Amino acid sequence: MVAFEVPEVDYTQYSNRQLIAVPLAVLVVALGVLAVTFVMTGSPVALGNDFTGGAELTVQSSEPISQQRATDIFGDSVVSVQQVSGQDQYIITFDDSAEIDTITTQAEEADGLTVLQSGSTSPVFGQDNQRLTVIAVGVAFLGMSLLAFALFRTFVPSIAIVISAFSDIVIPVAIMNLVGIKLSLGTVAALLMLIGYSVDSDILLNNHVLRRSGGFYESTYRAMRTGVTMTVTSIAAMTVMAIAATLFGIELMASIGIVLVLGLTADLMNTYMLNVTLLRWYKYEGVSR
Amino acid sequence: MSALRDNWRIVVLVVLLLASTVALFVPGAPPGTAANESAGGEQLTNLQYGIDLSGGARIQAPVVGMTAEGVNVSVTGEADAQQAIADRLGVDPLDVEVRAAQQRGQNGTVEVFDENVTEAEFRTALQEAGYQPSTIREGVTPETRQRMVTVIQDKISTSALSGGRVQDVNSPGGRNFISITAPGRDAEDLIEILNERGTVRVYAVYQNQSTGNWTREQVLGQDDFRNIGNAQRVDGQPQVPVVVRDGAAERFQDDMAGAGFGNGASCGAGASDHDSVETINATCLVTTLNGQPVFVGGVEPSLGQSFAEGSFATDPQFVMTTTSMQEARDLQLSLQAGRLPADLNFENGNQNSLSPALADQFRTNSLITGLLAVLAVSLVVYARYRRREVALPMVVTALSEVYILLGFVAMAQYPLNLSHLAGFIAVIGTGVDDLIIIGDEILQQGEVGTARVFQSRFRKAFWVIGAAAATTIVAMIPLVGFPLGDLSGFAIITIVGVLIGVLITRPAYGDILRNLVLDE
Repeated sequence: MVAFEVPEVDYTQYSNRQLIAVPLAVLVVALGVLAVTFVMTGSPVALGNDFTGGAELTVQSSEPISQQRATDIFGDSVVSVQQVSGQDQYIITFDDSAEIDTITTQAEEADGLTVLQSGSTSPVFGQDNQRLTVIAVGVAFLGMSLLAFALFRTFVPSIAIVISAFSDIVIPVAIMNLVGIKLSLGTVAALLMLIGYSVDSDILLNNHVLRRSGGFYESTYRAMRTGVTMTVTSIAAMTVMAIAATLFGIELMASIGIVLVLGLTADLMNTYMLNVTLLRWYKYEGVSR
Repeated sequence: MSALRDNWRIVVLVVLLLASTVALFVPGAPPGTAANESAGGEQLTNLQYGIDLSGGARIQAPVVGMTAEGVNVSVTGEADAQQAIADRLGVDPLDVEVRAAQQRGQNGTVEVFDENVTEAEFRTALQEAGYQPSTIREGVTPETRQRMVTVIQDKISTSALSGGRVQDVNSPGGRNFISITAPGRDAEDLIEILNERGTVRVYAVYQNQSTGNWTREQVLGQDDFRNIGNAQRVDGQPQVPVVVRDGAAERFQDDMAGAGFGNGASCGAGASDHDSVETINATCLVTTLNGQPVFVGGVEPSLGQSFAEGSFATDPQFVMTTTSMQEARDLQLSLQAGRLPADLNFENGNQNSLSPALADQFRTNSLITGLLAVLAVSLVVYARYRRREVALPMVVTALSEVYILLGFVAMAQYPLNLSHLAGFIAVIGTGVDDLIIIGDEILQQGEVGTARVFQSRFRKAFWVIGAAAATTIVAMIPLVGFPLGDLSGFAIITIVGVLIGVLITRPAYGDILRNLVLDE
């Protein structure tokens, strides 16, 4: 079996500027993606049915369903058709012009189709969900930030946690925009979970560097050894969940898994490049100021 | 004994594991379940499954209606105000609800449940009727929503839908809606059930003086009521006031007088003793819902007199008196024949139905997904530590966290959905993370010589764990109170899981590790 050791990184080789450049560049690019999306669509993230209103059917079909066939059956409200891999099931998404009763009847009347699941959200409800989501993410983020400051009571280490958590959320959202994963209630849950996961390794690092005896690099390595193991374990679990749930067609779990894999990977970079650098600056230069 | 005392955390863990086993597998263990019943759940465990995992439908929809607040109306003026406002708006009086102030210093409310009435029309009608509302808003009062919930619950349970749930959901600073979950049905069926009406009939039962035969004559039908009032207690008597429609009142009073109720009648039969009006042999007024007697009572002499004199028709209202408030409420619901107090606006809601076949598939597959995730975690942890005695307790502890959480869910009879399962996986994730922190802290800083060294390292590790747990909880708390689909369930599972972890399983893992390292 493969042994897995956390490598010791020689941070002394790199200047603060070099280290911080990479995560900051990625963050800027991610924010750029959100800005472009905002200009193009009026919303920084691609919103799914949960937020815009719309309908969805999962059907079992003896024949393959193409986008064309779906449009033939249901009309122009079809947005996308997605096959559940390895099975004769298809998830068909509709925009908010579709009437759930009508499309369910149309599906039941079509040859060889069985409706397994149907769902619809009205635009009014979608609007409400948008509003609540913004509040929920805002409150969660604010709560986390206040807690970070309460725990460490110094500016730089606390703000490091906050920036890193912010970036951990923004990067997966930007990637979602790029690869076409729409924001659903499930992915919102994943983003909030990221706040929790992201802060774990940051608190660990801050704690080791600030509250323990021992040199900066030694403390950092100790924290890294534990922190990287933690994050890699979580990434492994979430990768497996994302792959399995995708194969099984369980959208909610698949999207939570994908967002967490992206976010946790971003967290590895942010914690051990951005956060470490801020702490090193604080420890060697900030304190003496 | 001292071994037990030193390892009390492990003892607590074991006790909770046993308790969870009872909660999960012993039939009838969770409160509110019968030993032989498994409502909506699976035979094997006491777990309840939501519609994602057992099939069924969920509909969430706001209530159609508008509310005028700050209307100065007295309890005795309710019926007149209702009629006056309904007449001015040209709607059915049943679509207008007037509620007098419940307490001194408050003002009453008037609601209209017709989507065609505009705010301006409503305001004008109120003013013409002599009322000055302070505000008019979209939506209905909490009392009406609560009555909606009761009526729908009643409908769902009488239509043999086990495990259905009806809730009044408030979105903070926003709209309120009713959420209905029914296992084993699709959304269309559910809407049909909601629209179903029962048949109400009122009979006069009396004895023919000469032949001695009992006659059961229908004196009122469903459409003959102008208004069914709210169940209320007057002078300690629970009762439901009803108003008969003008056109029917005269006929009703003549029928009653003709049947010999002119001097009143004491009945002597009870509704609960009879399954049909046919078996009642006493001089009574009998109300049936779908043929089942729901009210059997006599007629007060004064009411009887008003039938005989013909004065009833000028003020065609009477009350049906019951023995308890609960009975009065049930009677009110029956008289309304399952009519929802107001319509649900399905257009502005959302609905979801899932076939049992797909739900079954989700259940199996999400279990496999969860197990695969646990396997992945185990492999990484083993690859990292290469010591079975460290990795194995870690995995076992993380799993016991999930097991206790399952026990909790079974105990609370909380219906599990996919989002909760995602929460379970999140709990495994954070759980293992924390165990890694404990493991590393204790094992990787040189030999642990004494119990005291161990204690101090464990405490250090625990600071990080506690801080991390606090942030996770803070991040999840906003979701608990928000009606964002299933997310509140996800958040609750994660929070409870993290609490179980921090308070029980992770300390126990510390004890397990201590035994391992101090033995060496």
